[in-house]
Amino acid sequence: MDVSQYLDIFIDETSEHIQSLSDNIMVLENEPENKDTINEIFRAAHSLKGMAGTMGFKRMQHLTHDMENLFSEVRNDSIKVNSELIDILFQCLDAIEGYLETVKSTSDEGTEDNEVLIKKLNEFLESGSGEGGDDDDAGSDAAASSGADEAPAAEASAAPAGDGSAEYLSMKLEEDDILKLQEASDGGSNLYGLTVHVQKDCLLKAARAFLVFKAIDDFGEILCYNPSSQDIEDEKFDLTFSIVISTSSTDTDAIKAAVSAVSEIEAVDMGAVTPDTFKGGAEPEASAPAPEPEKKAPEASAAAAPAPAPAPKPVAESAPKAAPAAAGAKKAANKPVTSRTVRVDIEKLDSLMNQVSELIIAKNSLVSISSSETGEYDSQSFREQIEYLERVTTDLHESVMKVRMVPIESTVNKFPRMIRDLSRKLGKPMDLIMTGEETELDRTVVDQIGDPLQHLLRNSADHGIEKPEDRKKAGKPEKGTIFLNAFQEGNNVIIQVGDDGGGINTEAVKAKAIERGIVTEEEAESLTQKEIVEFLFMPSFSMAKQITDISGRGVGLDVVKSNIEALGGDVEVKTTFGQGSTFTVRLPLTLAIIQALMIEVRDEKYAIALASIMTIENIPKSEIKYVQAKEVIHLRGLVIPLIRLDDLLDFEPAEDDRDDLTVVIVKRGDSHAGLVVDNLMGQQEIVIKSLGKVIENNKIISGATILGDGEVALILDTNAMI
Amino acid sequence: MADQKALAADNKPNKHELDNVVEEKIQYIVVGIGDEKYGIDISFIDNIVRMQKITRVPKAPDHYMGVINLRGMVVPVMSIRRKMGLSDDVINNATRIIILKLEEQGLVGVLVDEVNEVIALGESEIDRNVKNSKKSDSSFINGIGKNGDGLVSIFEITAVVDEVVA
Repeated sequence: MDVSQYLDIFIDETSEHIQSLSDNIMVLENEPENKDTINEIFRAAHSLKGMAGTMGFKRMQHLTHDMENLFSEVRNDSIKVNSELIDILFQCLDAIEGYLETVKSTSDEGTEDNEVLIKKLNEFLESGSGEGGDDDDAGSDAAASSGADEAPAAEASAAPAGDGSAEYLSMKLEEDDILKLQEASDGGSNLYGLTVHVQKDCLLKAARAFLVFKAIDDFGEILCYNPSSQDIEDEKFDLTFSIVISTSSTDTDAIKAAVSAVSEIEAVDMGAVTPDTFKGGAEPEASAPAPEPEKKAPEASAAAAPAPAPAPKPVAESAPKAAPAAAGAKKAANKPVTSRTVRVDIEKLDSLMNQVSELIIAKNSLVSISSSETGEYDSQSFREQIEYLERVTTDLHESVMKVRMVPIESTVNKFPRMIRDLSRKLGKPMDLIMTGEETELDRTVVDQIGDPLQHLLRNSADHGIEKPEDRKKAGKPEKGTIFLNAFQEGNNVIIQVGDDGGGINTEAVKAKAIERGIVTEEEAESLTQKEIVEFLFMPSFSMAKQITDISGRGVGLDVVKSNIEALGGDVEVKTTFGQGSTFTVRLPLTLAIIQALMIEVRDEKYAIALASIMTIENIPKSEIKYVQAKEVIHLRGLVIPLIRLDDLLDFEPAEDDRDDLTVVIVKRGDSHAGLVVDNLMGQQEIVIKSLGKVIENNKIISGATILGDGEVALILDTNAMI
Repeated sequence: MADQKALAADNKPNKHELDNVVEEKIQYIVVGIGDEKYGIDISFIDNIVRMQKITRVPKAPDHYMGVINLRGMVVPVMSIRRKMGLSDDVINNATRIIILKLEEQGLVGVLVDEVNEVIALGESEIDRNVKNSKKSDSSFINGIGKNGDGLVSIFEITAVVDEVVA
């Protein structure tokens, strides 16, 4: 089966399941008895296994299968959750994630068997369920605890004794299908064969078949079809078709009744089956590998039950064999890596659709005005329509932007796990408290904000939070708290990352700066606390006394800063020695369209992002003061340096005989600057375009935009000027 | 022209036999810069547009005139004269901007005095022996083509837009 078209979905859903597993395992660690969580984990592991199986990723399937087994034990209370178990589970998650990464880049699962992990899982399974294994509770327990897959096979021989004439018994199954059955029965599901007889005069056989499948869906999963599901859909069958289903229910009558309830179904034959049932009639190649049961994977044979070696090959054994072949085939094809997608809420799409239809209406009204019989435009209604059009385009823009917006959740939800691991590694108990995960940001920003945030969190965990004994001495609770708060503020999204740890020792930073020769001792004396903290953002300025593998290699905060600035944001620190520090990351909501103030310098037009403008002032020339030969103005208690834009933008100096200067005060964090402009043109919504690769690395221009008359105007990067 | 192309295409599989009979030809657009004619490989050309308002970009390299609006895209425009150290461009009615499409740099506009014609030249009609020429712009030229009575210098496009040279 060609499954490449499902690869995207597989990757998406697998990531979701991994996340949900991770979340739930975290919960489980704190509440080992939480049944809901255990069930949730079991379900997620099961879904993962199913998906991996469908896609033919045998190794991944094997691992998830064993995880599922372990959980079925936990669910049955045969194994108690302890921290060792949690550790193994997290390792498994990492391994699955590893598979997923390989799948993402090569569309193949790779060749890592993770045997060590699987062995660990099985050891755990055995140690925990020594008694559990004696349980007669059929499938799941037996298969799981014995570690081998023979158990269901043992009962298999007895099963096909039923109705020998039923068609489902003579179904010809592919090797793959039999494997699927084997797996389902290993997984503790009951297998039943069904042969459905449709009435002779039935008109829509395919539709009836569909309804039958639908009815069965309520009970379990259909594993195999005869004829194939495609043929059934295309009505390429006589009056009967057969299927094999796996279900957790044992109520055969209920299933039979549900199927019979579909109209125009004449009769249903049903009986329990096992993978063995189909062995006999299967093609020779299906049974060919059977004579080599000795070749079991080591972990499977570790505790092989003394059951007779059966014909069907246990999954464990067949997986390594089948996979290389599949891998080879796939590698040859070398499928393209998946594209980046955004999942869009259907509601957002609907509103988009609505606005487009409104746009068409607006266009039509304009057309009808322009083609009015009198030949004269009714300027009143014309203006009204233009206004309408304006409103629609604004809404449309907003909707399109919303489609690009995704919650930061997808990025930040891996952090609790990270902090947990760090907490154990560093031997410092700490909690991560997150708020505002639902805050939305542009997709590109969300994708790229992960690394900087992760870095800040690691910093907090490693440098911020003190050792428990130190915390005790300082009168703080032993358990440290790290927080991540996200919220929207105007056109920005603010993400605060901080801790209640030791804070930044500004004296130490100062000493370091002097030692590194960045400032002299005298200069250092006059530095404000804020300026000192700024040193931390300088390249290769690490405060860690010793290098750990968590942070402290000196490639740290400067990278965080440049990453965030590349996204059009900025980062600030506030710290109180002894009480912790907070990093505030400010990010623009969108990258593509902004509100801007259009200004003129001489005869050229420039745009300044409205978000960075504080006020616009008229300053008499007489109020310009000089500090260190630089022009400054005094405004409401702030001393603001003046920047002559004509000078900065390489204009020839010209006589200026005006008495008042128009100054646009821009801010970046707590710093300000006054830009002297010649003329203000007004506010406008502008679409940001790149300047093209050749002149992109321009420090004071962040981009360009196209004005209504087709002219290009440049966007000033005020952040770079301050 | 179509015949020629067809021939060229036919030619490919058994090139060795026919090598001396039909030669593959490359089309060049002949542009005028100053008194000289230059040829630009047509496969690099995305578009040719009339002169339009160029927005100056402060702090950009000197030979970049600025940026233009090309159907909603912002495209940088360079002056080949400035890059080659010739006198500044004189903008008139014949001035054109050749939009080049390059793999690395994307779209780049190049200002030329005029656009003359399209010619097709085979390798035998191009003299590649120009490297030791002492002319200042020689590094941008990878050959001189013979077009009727005149000569056409063939631009090495990647060198023209490359920032390191100059």
